[in-house]
Amino acid sequence: MHDDHAGGSSHGDHDHRNRHLASSPEIRVEALEDLLVERGIADRGRIDAIIERFEHDISPMIGARLVAQAWLDPGLRQQLLIDADAVLAGMDIRGAEIEHIEVKANEPGVHNVVVCTLCSCYPWALLGLPPNWYKSPEYRARVVREPRSVLAEMGLELDPSTEVRVWDSSSETRFLVLPERPAGTEGWPVERLADLVTRDSMIGVDRAADPGSE
Amino acid sequence: MPPDADESAPAARSVHDLGGASGYGPVPHDPDELPFHADWERRVFGLLGAVTASTARRPGEFRYVLERLDASDYFDNGYYGRWLAGFEVLLGEYGLIGPDEVSSAVARRANVTPEEAAGASPVQRAAPVAARDPAAMPPDRPTPEPRHRTVRRELADPPRFSIGERVVAPASVQPGHTRLPDYVAGKQGTVTKLHPAEVLPDSTAHDLGERPQHVYCVGYDAQTLWGNEADPNATVHVDLYECYLTAAEGG
Repeated sequence: MHDDHAGGSSHGDHDHRNRHLASSPEIRVEALEDLLVERGIADRGRIDAIIERFEHDISPMIGARLVAQAWLDPGLRQQLLIDADAVLAGMDIRGAEIEHIEVKANEPGVHNVVVCTLCSCYPWALLGLPPNWYKSPEYRARVVREPRSVLAEMGLELDPSTEVRVWDSSSETRFLVLPERPAGTEGWPVERLADLVTRDSMIGVDRAADPGSE
Repeated sequence: MPPDADESAPAARSVHDLGGASGYGPVPHDPDELPFHADWERRVFGLLGAVTASTARRPGEFRYVLERLDASDYFDNGYYGRWLAGFEVLLGEYGLIGPDEVSSAVARRANVTPEEAAGASPVQRAAPVAARDPAAMPPDRPTPEPRHRTVRRELADPPRFSIGERVVAPASVQPGHTRLPDYVAGKQGTVTKLHPAEVLPDSTAHDLGERPQHVYCVGYDAQTLWGNEADPNATVHVDLYECYLTAAEGG
């Protein structure tokens, strides 16, 4: 990381570039990690294991499978809407950020969409870690004020007669949208149905995928 | 950096309280986006997960440190950038790694002087924990010890409000952490559901005890929140702690 002043760069360039480096998160997290490991406060193996778990073991497929099961089993669907916590406990689905889950079902005339305007709360153990757009100031600022326009910009056109319900995750309750089952999927097994259940559809910024596009 | 906030918004609005803020453009949407965009984001996530036992144990404490950041530290490097900045502030406040030590380590890596590195530190730009008057908060009340680590509590007292009741959350007058979004303050909504009771983050974030509360889902018509130009067929639901709420007059 030492500047050798090659290529005729001036001291001014050097100073500017290096001051920029001092602000860069790459440099700062590296410095913090080394300090915390030296002190015995953090353990590199544990850091790696946490990254591995949240990047690879937990994904939207957990939520997608649950949705597909609910499409196939009206009793399960009803239970999910009444007491999702009991359903998840019974399926041994547990983990971070799903201590109390509310499932909101889309149906003809009603569309649900989830946000966290104050931070970026999200049901990690069902959907994996949230994408950047969900955490962006644009989404957080606008989806509570003009949800229909934001959804349209993101590719989801809703009929004006469809009621839009926005859920702002301001307590420790986390929300999961149960999208509508697409037509043309009669007789499909759960795995094939789950492939249609996108992350976006469970946040509520899209419908489940078109079976023709599979 | 965010665009200029709505000039009609109260001056006290904090950097993080974004619901309804004007001036923002299209959502940077990518349906296939992966959770991390760079290796440093992975390291920030893993490091925080590995060290939260030493910092930010109390509910709301980590959110509150993010809220105390300078706007540049909150916005410039996205979600994991603000996590990193908040983490640096907490490590200093807990006395685990001081800002001077971080600046020395950063100075070596960036080939700048420690003074220059200190200028890049988010710590000096962050606001301190606000002094909050415990007497202005709802009383603490003993609840059964939970069997595992959780924010949920069993309350003996029944909830004050019932489903269908009209309620208002007046704007928060105390500085510090709250989960009352500014955009619903002073507006009339309807209780639509009762969630499990929780410890009060406004109190736990300030280390003032649990003061557990019933939590209500309150529904607002978009036009009540944003005026007559707003969508006539949209509702916004916000989860609010009982001590935020009063019965709506004439509701």
